[in-house]
Amino acid sequence: MARRRLGPEGRFLLMALPGAIFVVVFLLLPILSIIVFSFWRTESYTLIPDWNLDNYATLFGTTTYMTFLLRSFTMAVAVSLASLVYAWPVAYFIAKHGDRYRLLLILALAAPFFTGIILRVTGIQGVMGPVGVINLGLMNYGLQPIEFIMYTQTAVGIGVTYLFIPFMVTAVYLSLLNFDFELLEVAKINGAKPWRAFIEITWPLNWMGTVIGLVLVFIPSMAESITPRFLGGPNAASFGQVLGLQFGETGTWALGSAMGVLLFAVSSLVILLMWRTVNLQRSGFTGGGS
Amino acid sequence: MAAGSRVAVAAYKGGSGLLLTLLYLFLYAPIVYVIYTSFNKDLIWPFPPDFTLDAYFKLADSSTYHEALWNSVLLGLGSAILCTVVATMGSMSILKYRSRWRGLIAVIYLCPLFVADLLVGISSLLFNRQVLGLPGNMGSAMIANAVHGTSFAFLIMIAQMARYDWRLDDAAMVFGAKPLRCFWEVTLPIIWPAMLGAFIISFILAFNNLEISFYNLGAIPTLPTIAWGSLRFGLGAELFALAALVNGVVLVTFTIMYLLMRYRIVSFGHRD
Repeated sequence: MARRRLGPEGRFLLMALPGAIFVVVFLLLPILSIIVFSFWRTESYTLIPDWNLDNYATLFGTTTYMTFLLRSFTMAVAVSLASLVYAWPVAYFIAKHGDRYRLLLILALAAPFFTGIILRVTGIQGVMGPVGVINLGLMNYGLQPIEFIMYTQTAVGIGVTYLFIPFMVTAVYLSLLNFDFELLEVAKINGAKPWRAFIEITWPLNWMGTVIGLVLVFIPSMAESITPRFLGGPNAASFGQVLGLQFGETGTWALGSAMGVLLFAVSSLVILLMWRTVNLQRSGFTGGGS
Repeated sequence: MAAGSRVAVAAYKGGSGLLLTLLYLFLYAPIVYVIYTSFNKDLIWPFPPDFTLDAYFKLADSSTYHEALWNSVLLGLGSAILCTVVATMGSMSILKYRSRWRGLIAVIYLCPLFVADLLVGISSLLFNRQVLGLPGNMGSAMIANAVHGTSFAFLIMIAQMARYDWRLDDAAMVFGAKPLRCFWEVTLPIIWPAMLGAFIISFILAFNNLEISFYNLGAIPTLPTIAWGSLRFGLGAELFALAALVNGVVLVTFTIMYLLMRYRIVSFGHRD
């Protein structure tokens, strides 16, 4: 053979590197650049390289920004937990009883994304809002409308869960796909009750997939900017919503960059904390490899 | 005892099946509402129904919406192709070869999951404008969406191919197949459902992405950016009609897939 033969290491890099470089160049470099810009300042829609900490001083010194951040954080935690509790039995059902329709059942969870977020949130409003199907229906039968789903944080929470719960189901499902259900039979033969087998086998062996699901829900929920605008009340503005404003109406890009960096830092911290709970040896999700 | 646990198992199965049904209802109720509204005269107050096809006639006449739909499809396809190629190479390399770089490479591929759409959007906007001097364009939007989609595609492929037996490839190579031919004739016929899944998911994510596309497209309209732009004047009836049509196509596709699975014509990677 004329061409020099590559060893396994060389072949690995030949296949893995193009994608890795792609991600580094188009994700990490932009993130690095907003970290740099967050120490600059903006004047009439232009970034000026005048190094300072003013943006961060503004962020940490203004109570409203911190309120937005805390509100988004709380929302993201609540939505992640709600998704976790609901998604597990659903994902388990699809993996165990979905039979040959499993792919279709999962794709049906992804298909709502074909409708744009704005239309879907409008649809949620149409179903849950003050003049929505549910409340009109209730009033039609002479019942009280449900108030906590009208322009409240709960309404925003339901909306955000609506948007991201498919990620959680998919992540747990993909994990269960590689879970050996035979292990449960072994546990049963050895006299373990179903709940005990779940706690000691199913749950820990799928913990990595669960963590990925939690992250997939937490990250976008924390940054969500559309839902609060439609479903939230006057005091529902989220961190993401205010972040977006810096790049639209006000054109304060440096402050916006600092907000982005803060969002990124908080998200990374949460991911890091969660990742520490993952034990790769026990996760069974490390990939085969020969 | 045995009877009791059988009842418990049946109750569990029924209960979680019910949860799944409720989840579908929850996910599709707003979409059904959008479709219902698209046939109504009044978009804001569609009760009691006053059916009309106005929205569809308007849609047929509107070149803006045709252009937006085309751009969305183009963006989705471009991004999905990029994602699928990159994710296939990445996931295959990680599953097939033992290398000390495996962990690092996997983390890099998963990085985009940890960055919200909004952040991808604004950071690539500033990077393109400030560092590269590029105005918003289709290419940038495709790439920014693809970066995000790559990790989803990668996750899907890793999970679906974790049990693939790579010795098949080795066997083909021993018999003298070149790597590309081996991929084409041995690997691809087995992994294509995983690739299809990755392609569909990354297409969906880019097709209707608002937060990444909005900041990177400049003045090029796509369906979600048009929806965003028209918010000030109230959503156009055309948008409702288009959403209804897109969902119609999805429904037809799913029905076909269901029939193919039902009569075992194509198994989409399912092994009995």
